[in-house]
Amino acid sequence: MRYRQMFAPFAAFALVAAATACGPGPAEKAQSGGEVKLQMVESLTNPTRTALLKKLIADFEAKNSGVKVQLISPPTNSADQKIQQMLQSGKGVDVLEVRDTTVGPFSTNKWIYDMAPDLKGWDGLGALTENALKVTQQGGKSYMVPYGFYGLSLFYRKDLVQQAGFSGPPKSWSEMVEQAKKINDPAKNRYGYSFRGGLGGAGNAITVISGYVIDEINKDNAFKLTNGKTIFSSPKAVEALNLYLDLFKSASPPSSVSWGYPEMVQGFTSGTTGFLLQDPEVIATVKESKTIKEDQWGTAPLPVGPTGKAAQPLANAGWGVAQGSTHKKEAVELVKFLTSGDAAMTFSKENSLVPILKSAADDPYFKDGPWASYVAMNSSPDTYVVVTQPRGVPWSTEWGNKADADVQKLITGKAQPAEILKSWDEYWTKKWAGN
Amino acid sequence: MALTETDRPVRQTPPRRPVTRRRQFTGRTALTLFLFMLPAIAFVGMFTYYPLANGISMAFRNYNLNDLSDTSWVGLKNFSTLLHDEMFRGTVKNSLIWVAGSLIPQFLIGFTMALWLRRKFRFRGAYQALVFFPWAVSGFLIGILFRWMFNGEFGVVNDLLMKTHLISTPVPWLADAKYAMVAVIVANVWYGVTFFAIMILAALQSVPEELYEASAIDGAGKVRTLFSITIPSIRTTLALTVLLRVIWIFNSPELIFGMTGGGPANETHIVTSYMIQVTQEGDYGRASAMGVMVVFVLMLFAIFYLLSIRPRKAMR
Repeated sequence: MRYRQMFAPFAAFALVAAATACGPGPAEKAQSGGEVKLQMVESLTNPTRTALLKKLIADFEAKNSGVKVQLISPPTNSADQKIQQMLQSGKGVDVLEVRDTTVGPFSTNKWIYDMAPDLKGWDGLGALTENALKVTQQGGKSYMVPYGFYGLSLFYRKDLVQQAGFSGPPKSWSEMVEQAKKINDPAKNRYGYSFRGGLGGAGNAITVISGYVIDEINKDNAFKLTNGKTIFSSPKAVEALNLYLDLFKSASPPSSVSWGYPEMVQGFTSGTTGFLLQDPEVIATVKESKTIKEDQWGTAPLPVGPTGKAAQPLANAGWGVAQGSTHKKEAVELVKFLTSGDAAMTFSKENSLVPILKSAADDPYFKDGPWASYVAMNSSPDTYVVVTQPRGVPWSTEWGNKADADVQKLITGKAQPAEILKSWDEYWTKKWAGN
Repeated sequence: MALTETDRPVRQTPPRRPVTRRRQFTGRTALTLFLFMLPAIAFVGMFTYYPLANGISMAFRNYNLNDLSDTSWVGLKNFSTLLHDEMFRGTVKNSLIWVAGSLIPQFLIGFTMALWLRRKFRFRGAYQALVFFPWAVSGFLIGILFRWMFNGEFGVVNDLLMKTHLISTPVPWLADAKYAMVAVIVANVWYGVTFFAIMILAALQSVPEELYEASAIDGAGKVRTLFSITIPSIRTTLALTVLLRVIWIFNSPELIFGMTGGGPANETHIVTSYMIQVTQEGDYGRASAMGVMVVFVLMLFAIFYLLSIRPRKAMR
């Protein structure tokens, strides 16, 4: 019995230790001799996209004999962490998907390779749009070449807008609130706006704020004003957030506090909501809806702020090469292949991305229908000012979690707009000061 | 009337081999035995204790994946940051609500189910399989399923409640902190009932039928039989199942992650789901500090729990 008592703490520890999961290990693959074998990892994985990537890779392999590419497709939710572990181990990955949110930490830790010298003289650079070129040459380094942009536009219900007595979709945020309120009718389970209160909710709040402070915004760091302070310190930001709160309270479903991407899209495609602010990839999803027909909906440019302008924060993702790769030359070739010519065009079309190539402006696919608003936005850069948000900073995930939770505090009445903005202002001021 | 030893049928035990001499346990045999055990020890050491030790060491270092240029030792800084973190304190409170709120209904419903399933009836096997089914589904998936079921506008829960006129306006389940906690606990109860049912049913089947026969002869009613025969007979299983469940429920953030992501406004985060969030943010130091605290607290709990449920005899 005494022995048993003596062992009790150890047994308890072992039990607890076994029940508490332990850390994962990096995945490594050996390289075969003779031919070059490239390992490629994607992040924003989905089955259709993976199939398309495999097709493009096959084209690449056909053109580059002796190079074989193996595509690894981890589940989207944990993909970036998986990539991080692979990079940390320094092996097992040559080409990887780099996002605007991961390029910062990956390059800080010297996990990804600066392709700038390899891209010098590449004719693909000249074919890129101004926005795409900017991303490729951030700070004089080329850690990634983007494959496309995700930009917001307004999806709206033509029939509901008309029934509410308006001739067209809202142009500004104040018109948006006005129209959404008219459409809102909870008794019929109909709401004005597909509000994003859950995961990623802060992004939309900041879109509204940016539209209000646009005249003083620092385009290269869209969380800063030209005077060096944060955009959250501006009195106009309070105005913007008050309007956004009003949009939630008087024209959005009460349960949208917890709505993330799938719910807000479902809200629109099921006919429950009248307006939806989303990326172009949703065009395909809305087209598949059985509840709303093709003539019932359309897209419009992003609503503008009080001075008639909107900030267009183009999110992006692209391909990069791992610092630990032993086949950098071939890896860079693959990146070049995927971001130029037909491969690049096919990729942006089939993934509903804002294209990276200048030639897309003449493509009928992008010129008509739901895509027209994106093209229209890109052709009026004075109204829809392209800005770069500091998405690549090492603390971007921490910020995302904090800001999303704060938006929920705001709309559940636990905090006031001014309080939230003060904490955001302090957060960024402190981070930029290096603390 | 109490049962005595003589009421039980006499069991034949095989005669033990007489022990003539204690086997010599020389250094050589010890070494041989050790060599045989070495692969197992190395495996467990490498895949369980090495990562564990590494994880513990991170708790005392400035280990942030976003910037690995300085991973120096910082003593108890990570722990003190956490203790001053209002959100962490909130997650501790939520963890207690989450564990108690999930465990008690799971236990009661699981026990009742096991008692029902013990009786013989037609299609018992099929019914058992159906009852045990949730245990085979991933927690994250269950979280996503329940997230849609509890959706305020398109969810089946509100639909049913409205159609049965129990509510007149839809309840924003996952949008309101107090409902959200209820919703995640309901999902977890559904998920975990099965484990209790399996464990308790297995234990029930090992209770000798004669005990029930004897108690029936003695005129014991259902309640008396439950408290005097059934529960005392399966006491050890009950105690261990409860202990295991406390540890598992405490350590199971996947359902919360799938369902609410800790929201609204972090109100449904428990310690371990918060730990995952911090890990995603790259601060492995702080996340490890949380992990170490969780292991420590659960270990203390396990020790006190095991000591408190020791059979009386052993204390004499």
